[in-house]
Amino acid sequence: MASTAACESIEDSLKLSGKKSFAGIPEATFVEDVDAYMKDREGVESILRQLDEQHGKYKFMELNLLARKKKLKSQIPDIQKSLDMIQVLEAKKKTNEQIETHFLLSDLLYSRAIIEPTDKVCLWLGANVMLEYTLEDAKALLEKNHETARKNLSQVHHDLDFLRDQMTTTEVNMARLYNWDVKRRQALNAK
Amino acid sequence: MAAVSVSKDSLESDSDIHITLEDQQKINRFARQNAKWEELRDDLKHKKGDLQNLEDASDDLLLVEDESAPIPFVVGEVFVHFNMEEAKEKLEEAKSKVKKDIESIEAECANVKSIMSDLKTQLYAKFGNSINLEAEEE
Repeated sequence: MASTAACESIEDSLKLSGKKSFAGIPEATFVEDVDAYMKDREGVESILRQLDEQHGKYKFMELNLLARKKKLKSQIPDIQKSLDMIQVLEAKKKTNEQIETHFLLSDLLYSRAIIEPTDKVCLWLGANVMLEYTLEDAKALLEKNHETARKNLSQVHHDLDFLRDQMTTTEVNMARLYNWDVKRRQALNAK
Repeated sequence: MAAVSVSKDSLESDSDIHITLEDQQKINRFARQNAKWEELRDDLKHKKGDLQNLEDASDDLLLVEDESAPIPFVVGEVFVHFNMEEAKEKLEEAKSKVKKDIESIEAECANVKSIMSDLKTQLYAKFGNSINLEAEEE
């Protein structure tokens, strides 16, 4: 009833997410039955150590992805600000007014400037390169960058979700293996 | 971060330890929703701060007596001088945009919370004390 519906929706969301392994993230095998899994393996400690190592690797990958996400998250408002500025310039151009501004010379110093209505803007492209564009071209370019940044951000989210799943699976595996081992020892001592 | 743990000390019954793939997927889904919820909570805090700043700014604007003085308004990283009405308009625009963002974040928060409490009841029903699904209190 309710649980099967929930299960189906989970299956659906797994199918929608497409391929199972993302960006080189190894998939953690889920252990259905600990007994069967341990039947032909010896050395619980070594397996626990393996799982722990895997967990550490996942944590490291997570740090990477989180750093990428932070960078993208800060890029998007920057692009948005530039787009806003272009809008203001366009509006002023229509009314043919001058713009009086205070702009940053350094962190603590602003300078006054008067901007004539203009058609051209310069965009900083990075790598010490700045190009002049018309207002429309600049808007188109910035909007494209905005779209790309958004897409990359959602991709990173996707990868993070998948990574988190693998981490949780590994954690649960470790806990279950440990429990199983404790029970086994208890049973052995009881004999 | 994600606060899902299966207790290492529970030795009561075998059914506790037997986790099916379906359960694992539910636990994973819960962890995802939890992480998403924390992120949404942070975003909401920032947006509310922004809204507060905008409200303060528009209050301050009302105190300005000289109607003709240009108001430097932040666009990107520079200040653009606008006259009183344009500045008021821009403030209103910015405020309504932030309010809309806040609304959509709150709606998503509610959605995520309901999914989480749903999964919680299911998982607690099956595992009882052997699983801990509470959020870490900061």
